[in-house]
Amino acid sequence: MAGITPAALAQQDTAVYQLKTVEVFGKPAEVFAAGSRVSSLDSSFLKTYASGSLADVLQARTPIFLKTYGASGIATPTFRGTSATHTAVLWNGLNISSPALGQSDFSTLPVTSLGEVAVQHGAAGATYGSGAIGGAILLHSPTLNEPGFGAELQQELSSFGRYFSSAGARYGGQKISVGLSGYRLAAENDFPYRDYGSFGAPTRRQEQARVEQHGFTQDVTWQLTEKTRLALHGWYTYADREVQSALGAASTNAQQLDKNLRLMADLGHDSRWGQTSVKAAWFSDYLRFTDNSNHSVTDINTFQLQTEQTYSYASRWSLRGGVNLQHFAADVQGYGRKVTEDRAAAFLLFRFDPARRLDLSLNLRQAFVKGYNPIPAPTLGANWLMLEQGDHRLYLKGNISGSYRVPTLNERFWRPGGNPDIKPEQGWSFEGGLRHVYSQGTILIETEASLYRMLVDNWVQWMPLESGYWSPRNLQKVRSQGIEMSSRASQKLGEFDLAATAGYTYTASEQVKAYEGPEELHQQLAHVPLHKAQLGTDVAFRSWTLLGNITYNGLRYTNNSNTSSLPAYTLLSLALNKKFGVGPYQLIASLRTDNATNTDYHVLENMPMPPRSFAASLRFIIL
Amino acid sequence: MKKITRFRSLLFSAAFASCAVVFASCDKASDGPTGEYARNGVLISNEGAFTKSNASVSFYSHDSRSVENEAFKKVNNPLVLGDVLQHLSVHGDRAFLVMNNSGKVTVANANTLKAEGEITGLNAPRYFTALNEDKGYVTEWLDYDPVTYAYGNGRVAVIDLKTLTVSRTITVGVQPEQLVISGGKLFVANSGGSTVSVINTATDAVETSVTVNEGPNSLALDRNNVLWVSSRGKKVYNPADWSVSEENSTPGTLTKINPGNNSVSSVLTFSRNAPSPSKLTVNDSRDKLYYVYNNRVYEQQVNSNSLATKPLIDRGTYVPYGFNGLGIDPGSGMIYAGKAPNFTSNGWVVRYNNQSGAAVDSFQVGIAPNGFVFR
Repeated sequence: MAGITPAALAQQDTAVYQLKTVEVFGKPAEVFAAGSRVSSLDSSFLKTYASGSLADVLQARTPIFLKTYGASGIATPTFRGTSATHTAVLWNGLNISSPALGQSDFSTLPVTSLGEVAVQHGAAGATYGSGAIGGAILLHSPTLNEPGFGAELQQELSSFGRYFSSAGARYGGQKISVGLSGYRLAAENDFPYRDYGSFGAPTRRQEQARVEQHGFTQDVTWQLTEKTRLALHGWYTYADREVQSALGAASTNAQQLDKNLRLMADLGHDSRWGQTSVKAAWFSDYLRFTDNSNHSVTDINTFQLQTEQTYSYASRWSLRGGVNLQHFAADVQGYGRKVTEDRAAAFLLFRFDPARRLDLSLNLRQAFVKGYNPIPAPTLGANWLMLEQGDHRLYLKGNISGSYRVPTLNERFWRPGGNPDIKPEQGWSFEGGLRHVYSQGTILIETEASLYRMLVDNWVQWMPLESGYWSPRNLQKVRSQGIEMSSRASQKLGEFDLAATAGYTYTASEQVKAYEGPEELHQQLAHVPLHKAQLGTDVAFRSWTLLGNITYNGLRYTNNSNTSSLPAYTLLSLALNKKFGVGPYQLIASLRTDNATNTDYHVLENMPMPPRSFAASLRFIIL
Repeated sequence: MKKITRFRSLLFSAAFASCAVVFASCDKASDGPTGEYARNGVLISNEGAFTKSNASVSFYSHDSRSVENEAFKKVNNPLVLGDVLQHLSVHGDRAFLVMNNSGKVTVANANTLKAEGEITGLNAPRYFTALNEDKGYVTEWLDYDPVTYAYGNGRVAVIDLKTLTVSRTITVGVQPEQLVISGGKLFVANSGGSTVSVINTATDAVETSVTVNEGPNSLALDRNNVLWVSSRGKKVYNPADWSVSEENSTPGTLTKINPGNNSVSSVLTFSRNAPSPSKLTVNDSRDKLYYVYNNRVYEQQVNSNSLATKPLIDRGTYVPYGFNGLGIDPGSGMIYAGKAPNFTSNGWVVRYNNQSGAAVDSFQVGIAPNGFVFR
């Protein structure tokens, strides 16, 4: 846990990690995902952007397009052309999406609370359950690997009245490891913008985007016996925000308060029958939305229990079977009554390496919900080391994957409009790709290209009824197809450590069938960019590190008729870090600029975004 | 949060569903004003999606038989028209664009659509009408109670059309919608209650209110100077599928008011309970009225005291917002209907033959077309 880790150190971390889990075929997220694409965000990048939200880092480094509602509003993902409810978010293996909305607001998930962020590209319903149609985001609590005491303090100041502070401490002992961290973010977001919604387009300061966030994490790992350990994870986030209104729309003084408490106990035991894991969790999700004429409270308690047994036979095969139980107790004004619901799912994941050069995955999950049983979601995937020559390795990979989404509580119980007869959404995804790895000396180049095609049936959409109410209906069949390419290279040149990542995504997502109404077919869905590309560089020289990131988001249509659109935009961010030794401690000073080219851009129509901003941060590390 | 905005939008859309278009303030350009949009054609208001600020104006030219969308944006780029264009009204050489969720009325040159100013400080403005070049009126809803969702009384803002400012406000009934001026009086349909307010346009004081059936939502003045009022009736919803209950609702009505003495001269009551009449629209010679009922368009002879038994336009099972706006072309008598398949993709204008009720043709416009001004 070394603050700003230069690229080399980050790779070292990964190497250590891989060694530890080598008996189960690589990284946990990849074990049962042969033939599928799993990527993880660089730890050095996460450290530099620790004061930001998960939305910021995913927008900068992954093919996921984040719809951000202004500087302070919610941020929801569009992954492989799907909607916000089609990306599952798991924290230490359990789904944390809001049961009411079926989605997560990525702007309230702080990077500072996370140890590792991995991204499962594409459908993986068998592994990750409901909602993993476009993909899944896998969040992990910080790992407590290092022995002894350590602490870290960070203070950051940035433009438009933004202040971020965080503090963390950890202790690693023989039996018990403990980690604690807390953060606070306050931002005025009073950036200037041209108000094209008013006659004469005066320049104003944003007055409705104030944000106050804080939270903490607590992680305890207790080695009960040699073969049994208990981990306790706690994560609390609080976000109180003013909600920006669109240019031209009257401000209604909209304000949103989110309070999320997530507690989890994870018991692990190794025996000759393999590894046993029992996870019990309680999530409390509170959301209050108020404006001049609304006062809406959503208060949901979720209880989850997941038990799984994994048996691995040498490096030949591994079998995991498990059950997931969920209980929701919802106290939501809009439902007019208390609603409870139980859901269950059983899964069987099988990884088989019949030969050294071939990995296979065969997974299956069946979810059970009263009255809504989705069809079983299978995955069949293969990863084949096709060529191995000198320093080159070329893999051919592919998978077929089923996915589903159980309707959200709002879709069924919201009054007025909730539709008790709505059917689960169901997806099929086909994917194939090549992965090339070149390593020679200190040079490592990994390149991957995938082609995918996905069909999502019974896609739910809220539509206006004749009575004037809106109601969710299974309206569409959507086909999304595209290309994902990414490359990552690193090299050590004398005292320089160089690393670069590049990615390009083409996403064509369109409705191919409408079950009701004269919907437009074969048009790109609104707010799904056809093209997205990003380039990141990371240069370390002695105690200096320079990070650069360019993100290009192509044109997005703002309606389903494809007659109006928002122009493409490119954002550049730069960060310079310098590490100082202060006795036995470390001080890392960092300067950062976001939107360095001062681009005037809109992620969503008529939502002004901040111009160029600067940030200065100090981080003090006690190792 | 998304669902909450939806919740808001559904409350508003309940209101949109029951609005209509009148051309009380729509003068035909007589002295041949010049401008791109002064020529032989139709201005179409597209309300756009709530909170998205994507309202727009389309122009259909009779000469070229083609439509131009985003006309306001083209002329005024990068200015954004605003959020929910509830009503477009032309008076003299000025167009008044009532921007419901922008809390303002944008004023533009009616012939060029060049923005000239705005009337700000309005709360959820709904409809506009002008008395003369100096004075206009805008109906405003006030916010509902966030706990009970009940609206209090709304108001009518008196607008000084020279300075484009609100000179005073007049409290009327709940959720005031359309307004019509006749014989020195301003009639205002209070759609959240069961009255039509009568305001003296000389003093701007409320003279009286006429009690009608619940939910008066649109007004039209016929050739006999009779004021027609469409009322929804009391509507109760089936909680199972959010449709209107036939059993527990009361029928809608058309009420005829004599504007001279503010008295109800007759009430025409519909036979079914669930559907509601709306969007009363009068033809050029003002001897026929058209209105939307049960997602169909009906014709009403102004001298008849009974309701038509058969619709003029019947599309069978049709999109709920297939008649989101209604207009009658004074030249051809053709019926223009604004069709909103949803609030995320473009709408259509479908033109119907006023004799047979058959669809003649259609063209694509902006999101949720709701009104027409014939030039």
